[in-house]
Amino acid sequence: MAKNESRKNANPLERAARLLDLVPYINTHQGIPLSELAEAFEVSTEQMVSDLTTLWMCGLPGYTPLELMDLEFESGYVTIRNAPTLAKPRSITHEEGVALVLGLDLLRSTISSDRTDLLAAIDVLAKRIAELVNLPSALSALSHIDQGIVSSIQSAISDRGGLSITYHALYKDEITSREVLPVEVIESQGYSYLHAYCFTAEDFRHFRLDRIQSAKFIQVEKPSRASASSAEKTNFELRVVESSRDVAERFERMDVQAGSTFSGSSFSRHWIERSVLASGGAVELLSPTEIRSEVARRAGLMLNRYSD
Amino acid sequence: MSFLADADQQRALTVSRKSERLINLTIALLATKRYITKSEIFKSVEGYEGSAESKERMFERDKDDLRSLGIEIEVGSFDPLFNDEAGYRIKQESYQLDLGAITTLEVSLLSLAAKAWQGASLNDAAQRALVKLSSLGFPLDEANLPGSIPSISNSEFDITVVTRAIAERQVLEFLYRGHDLSSESRRVVPIGLSTRSGFWYFTGVDQAVQEIRTFRFDRVLEGFNVHKGPKDFEIPEGFEASQVFESDAASVAIIDIRKGKCNSLRALATSTKSIGEWDQIQIPILDVKTLSALVLWHGEDAYVHAPEELRMQIVESLKALVGNHG
Repeated sequence: MAKNESRKNANPLERAARLLDLVPYINTHQGIPLSELAEAFEVSTEQMVSDLTTLWMCGLPGYTPLELMDLEFESGYVTIRNAPTLAKPRSITHEEGVALVLGLDLLRSTISSDRTDLLAAIDVLAKRIAELVNLPSALSALSHIDQGIVSSIQSAISDRGGLSITYHALYKDEITSREVLPVEVIESQGYSYLHAYCFTAEDFRHFRLDRIQSAKFIQVEKPSRASASSAEKTNFELRVVESSRDVAERFERMDVQAGSTFSGSSFSRHWIERSVLASGGAVELLSPTEIRSEVARRAGLMLNRYSD
Repeated sequence: MSFLADADQQRALTVSRKSERLINLTIALLATKRYITKSEIFKSVEGYEGSAESKERMFERDKDDLRSLGIEIEVGSFDPLFNDEAGYRIKQESYQLDLGAITTLEVSLLSLAAKAWQGASLNDAAQRALVKLSSLGFPLDEANLPGSIPSISNSEFDITVVTRAIAERQVLEFLYRGHDLSSESRRVVPIGLSTRSGFWYFTGVDQAVQEIRTFRFDRVLEGFNVHKGPKDFEIPEGFEASQVFESDAASVAIIDIRKGKCNSLRALATSTKSIGEWDQIQIPILDVKTLSALVLWHGEDAYVHAPEELRMQIVESLKALVGNHG
């Protein structure tokens, strides 16, 4: 924050933009406490006082008291009079318009189809904002996360209550029911995860939010001291048969050359097996040998079915 | 007072003066109904000091600065008979936010939309938009609003390079990681931007083949080079960014999946028919290779009936798998 703060002081352009935006904001928030105003503009109170002091000296040419803005903030509450030229908020910039249009589209994808009033309003708005920044209806954001589930998780966290969730375990390809005590929601690499104590696994687990299919409130006991049973990772070794983007992204190795070998490890043997199958012959699994023979066996079975 | 504090104070003062001058210039240009000339500005607007040359330089910089804040300065002549000196003004219509007749509910929806960016790349811009919306002076219509909005996924790439290119019909030149990991050189006029499942994509007309293609941002190898776009470029008729990920019904895969399994395939199905221990589903095909990999991921729990192209891709992969591991 401190770093951000000094950047906000030092750049005269950013400061000028803030001063221009302050006038219409105070105009519709007459009497706002100084600290609240500072918060709305994400600066310290000292910076806000300095901003207001600068603004106080601005006005129309002539710069007599008649032409200056009538700005009062010594009481700790801010009011403004006599600032008609800057009274309306500035038009939105390209970046701001993009942020709003994408935000609206994301919002749209979370609203249930029976709220036709909201959906219609969003469509009209998105079109209007897009026109303001000269963008055709070209931006789209979609949420795969059920908002009902998100709000259940949020209330469970704030009430320290438990949830019974159904979860799609991708690597095992199973839908399981679990009782969990939610701790927090975290973001990692573009996905949201629920970090929770899982009574089924008797340990802390991460659940990807878009794979939680339902969430119901339940009464839970406090977990008896988390058992530190750390799951074991399985090491594997692969030979690259054909270098492909699919393999590079799946195994997160951008340097895969045909003929080269690399090793890795995973908490899930299912993941190793399925990843090799999905690579469709572009990689050869060298070890572990049990998974290797399982891959061969299953591929053979499937091939038989396709040859029928 | 230490020397350092003195220098800091000096700098703060310079920053103040500059911001103050920019505000005064904006007010003066906004308040005038006619174009005002440079000499009028130097005479009347506070803050222009020094030699004629340094005033001139100051003014040029200030104009550029205001333009970079998105403020349009019009240049014209206030007297058509004596157009020896250019004049300047800012039109209220272009300076002010004009959302037309807008309701409390609409302002509330926009404010909620801006909150989707918390912690993501355009958060600063979204915050500024929020302040402007709040300055319109509407109360929030909380009763009618959804309670929350999910976060938009962060992008490590500057998506506004692409949105600007969409708005200006520019060509983006970049290196792209191809299927075989080679880097392909592409020239694309972007027409759409979208985010799905944590990834960011842009869609555009590939100039080499004149066809619509979709690209994933994280597969762009270095940055973008931006060039002037082709003359008379038109966005292909009927294009909608939200439909980039829905293919036409012309190519549909018919797949048997075991009941209770293949949940990732099931999520893509456009129709499902129960047949004993299995379900038969239909999935629109966007890319045969990608779908083939997803089918193989599910092992014996998935079996493809059609189309032949997808079956052949799978059979070939299975032969290679047996060959590699047998």
